[in-house]
Amino acid sequence: MSIHAPGRVLLHNIPLKFVHDRVAGGGRKGVDVAIALVPFIDFLITLVVFLLTSFSASGELLAQRPNLVMPTAANVIDLEIAPIIAIDPQIVTLDNRRMADTQTLASNAQLERIEQLVTDLETLKRNWSVLHPREPFSGTVILQADRNVDFRVVKKVMFSAAQAGYTNISFAVNQGGGGGGGE
Amino acid sequence: MGGVSVEGGHGGKKSVDSEIPLVPFIDLLLCCIMFLLVTAVWNKLARIETNQQQPGQNAPMDQPQEEQIRLFVHVSPTGYTLSDTAGVRIQIDKNGDVYDQEGLREKLRDRRQQEPNRRDLIVTADDGVIYEDIVSAMDIVVGEGYEDMSLTPPQM
Repeated sequence: MSIHAPGRVLLHNIPLKFVHDRVAGGGRKGVDVAIALVPFIDFLITLVVFLLTSFSASGELLAQRPNLVMPTAANVIDLEIAPIIAIDPQIVTLDNRRMADTQTLASNAQLERIEQLVTDLETLKRNWSVLHPREPFSGTVILQADRNVDFRVVKKVMFSAAQAGYTNISFAVNQGGGGGGGE
Repeated sequence: MGGVSVEGGHGGKKSVDSEIPLVPFIDLLLCCIMFLLVTAVWNKLARIETNQQQPGQNAPMDQPQEEQIRLFVHVSPTGYTLSDTAGVRIQIDKNGDVYDQEGLREKLRDRRQQEPNRRDLIVTADDGVIYEDIVSAMDIVVGEGYEDMSLTPPQM
């Protein structure tokens, strides 16, 4: 079988004249399409500007948990690096380590300290003093609690934090409309 | 491709036409978009700052502690109470199941007119009050200019 240069093959078996004419070309309008580059670049620049305006450098300090819905507030300031105590409907955690059961804390009316939490916060405080010997200890802890948690649980966590030397409590919230933002 | 055509370049001189390299420019924009999309934060998180020390608690020991009127906002299951140690006590009841936030805002605004320089206020709450209502009260307090806010349980 001899080898020959390939010709136009596609759609040639369709027995319709206008299809044959269109496939063969024959001086008709070209089928090339130019991409409109200028509107495309305009679109990309607009997208970059929008994303730059909504960029937040402190957003990664605190992650939204799936089982924890934080309340919304408007008069807020930016987050800072600090130990994170999370209170969800099931457990209380310090930097993702389990400290206590929320239901157990909510069921007992007596103001008691959470020993595990106090011990771990004291350890964090000692570590901080070793790592930053010349800086004063701010005693700040971030409290990330579910919006439906009883204040009794929050109170016990705050009491435990105060016992460990963390007297400044920052309540993590979703920033609502009209907020101050930034410090 | 985008180009800029400038008259000239005759007489064997080098042409002054220049081409803007659009493909690398589009590549750069796409890289920026990818980076910004990956690092984008769609729900902005922030904080309300409080402390557990009552005003005047950390005063130096060698100085006599100044007698100071303390201002309180108490959140209870029945509503807000705005009070101070001088004996003022204003009850702001709930409207049905909803806390009267506008009422608290008005009372704090009135108090601000009496004491324009005050920055400290103590928020207290009862057991059984849900956290969201306390955050709402703290939000109003900070919004009315009481930035040196403390949150303490009544018995602490």
